[in-house]
Amino acid sequence: MVLSLKIGFSPLNDSALVLLGEALGYYTAEGLDVTLSREANWSNIRDKMSYGLLDAAHVLAPMPLARGLGLGPTLGKIIAPMALGANGNSVVVSSHLMTALIHDDKTKLLDTARALRDEISRRRAAGAPKVVLAMPFAYSPHHFVLRHWVAAGGIDPDRQVQWVVLPPSRMADALRDGVIDGFCSGSPWPQMAQLNGDGQVLFSDPDFWTLKPEKVLGVREPWANENPDGVISLVRALLKAAQWAKAADTADLAKILAQPGYVGAPLEAIELALSTEGAGLLLDPQTTTFPWISHAKWFMGQFVRWGLTTPEHDFDTIARQIYRPDLWRQAAASLGLDIPLEDEKTEGGEPVPWTLDATPNPILMPANELFDGGIFRSA
Amino acid sequence: MNVLIIDPDDARAALVAEGIRADSAHQDATIHHWPRFELARLKDINPEMVIIACESPDRDTLDALQIAHEQAPRPVAMFVDRSDANTTAEALEAGVAAYIVDGYSPNRVASILTVATHRFNLMQNLRNDLTKAKADLAARKSIDRAKGVLMTSRGISEDDAYKILRKHAMDTGRPMAAVAADILAISGLLKPGEG
Repeated sequence: MVLSLKIGFSPLNDSALVLLGEALGYYTAEGLDVTLSREANWSNIRDKMSYGLLDAAHVLAPMPLARGLGLGPTLGKIIAPMALGANGNSVVVSSHLMTALIHDDKTKLLDTARALRDEISRRRAAGAPKVVLAMPFAYSPHHFVLRHWVAAGGIDPDRQVQWVVLPPSRMADALRDGVIDGFCSGSPWPQMAQLNGDGQVLFSDPDFWTLKPEKVLGVREPWANENPDGVISLVRALLKAAQWAKAADTADLAKILAQPGYVGAPLEAIELALSTEGAGLLLDPQTTTFPWISHAKWFMGQFVRWGLTTPEHDFDTIARQIYRPDLWRQAAASLGLDIPLEDEKTEGGEPVPWTLDATPNPILMPANELFDGGIFRSA
Repeated sequence: MNVLIIDPDDARAALVAEGIRADSAHQDATIHHWPRFELARLKDINPEMVIIACESPDRDTLDALQIAHEQAPRPVAMFVDRSDANTTAEALEAGVAAYIVDGYSPNRVASILTVATHRFNLMQNLRNDLTKAKADLAARKSIDRAKGVLMTSRGISEDDAYKILRKHAMDTGRPMAAVAADILAISGLLKPGEG
């Protein structure tokens, strides 16, 4: 029996698994008749999932959590049975700011944050406007990365920086016109800005956190409850896409992503983002798709840290209602992947590849380290 | 009252504005149209309701205002327990979303959103009709040119050329325009002195 469903995505490189599911026939092979819906903004995806116009979507990891915390439109719960990879964003700044922040190739990310603090002081002394930084959505990893970065330099993100939400398609223009000083966006927008000379990439996700969570597969909970087998088939299809992506030649992946109905951006920018000089997007099914409860808690910790919600929540329960490692395990086991024994891990503090307890075999994990040496223990 | 329409499609925005004005309940409405959202100018208008095309990338900028400002327009989707969920769902399906400031009359919101939905659907139908008309015209042109090719190469009448095309189409189960396009492509290859 064929199960029909609609999946939304935002045209970014990190929607790769959702796109490959269609392009390479993994949905069909799992008995799923998927219609992809290319969406122009995150609010559409959120609302269309609320009203059942989308059954699943490529979403920013904090979006289902925002809903779980009762922020924004809250009709219907969204669960996250898998992550759609790790990393993929970059921070782009104006050439002027780049010169102020980077002294030589030995400049570390922590140094840039301190240099930004000096730049902010200079501007204030000169009566110049505040530094303006842009992000694509308020409940986004981008927002938290930028705030964590500036705070590490001793800057008060609420009082000393002006924040603005802009669509990635308008960020490069705003930077060139001097409306903003920098932005954080998913690929390939930063690379397009760089290639067009509108700004320079200051840092990418792996510089901030080598194994940073970013997008998840959001599934409308009522749909998941009505189609328990369908959810597993969907996760299986996306894990198979990740198996392909991990082994694939970057050029082949880039060609698929560049198609007009998919990411639809210049091939050169997509390839640059996927290259070793790029945004560090990882699509390994074994190490970057497990929906870690510790990720959910790190994000919710950011909500509290930045005043987007109060500390009066049962974060453990909310995390476990939304992030669903049980569903990942079921799908991954049927494909013969190794299954992590725990739902939570320590985030940060692993500067070199390390071994994660799993069955039947332990998993060799990539380094998991934050730029400021921070370690997050959720359990 | 003030309604702001944000839509990169000027013709569609005009159609929505006209629809709102045509409703006697909203004759007093002042309607503004911006092709893109401009945060700095929002204060000048102070809209009670914002209608935004889902295809506008600016929707997330508008949406974020609800977090930063108490008095900012908030998505209608937030008020579904108070207004009609179907109205919102139909609007989203038609490609339009709405934002209102808190305390604004739910009845008026629903009726304006319904008008916007109808106009979005109407525009889509008009565009579909136009696309089909253009395709029909293009098909007729290639059929005429293919007939010309057959008449010249085989020395037959226009009527016979048409019959050959039609028979090919029926035999292969393809549209006549597709058969005509094949003939034109092949005739291009066979032209002396080319390729």
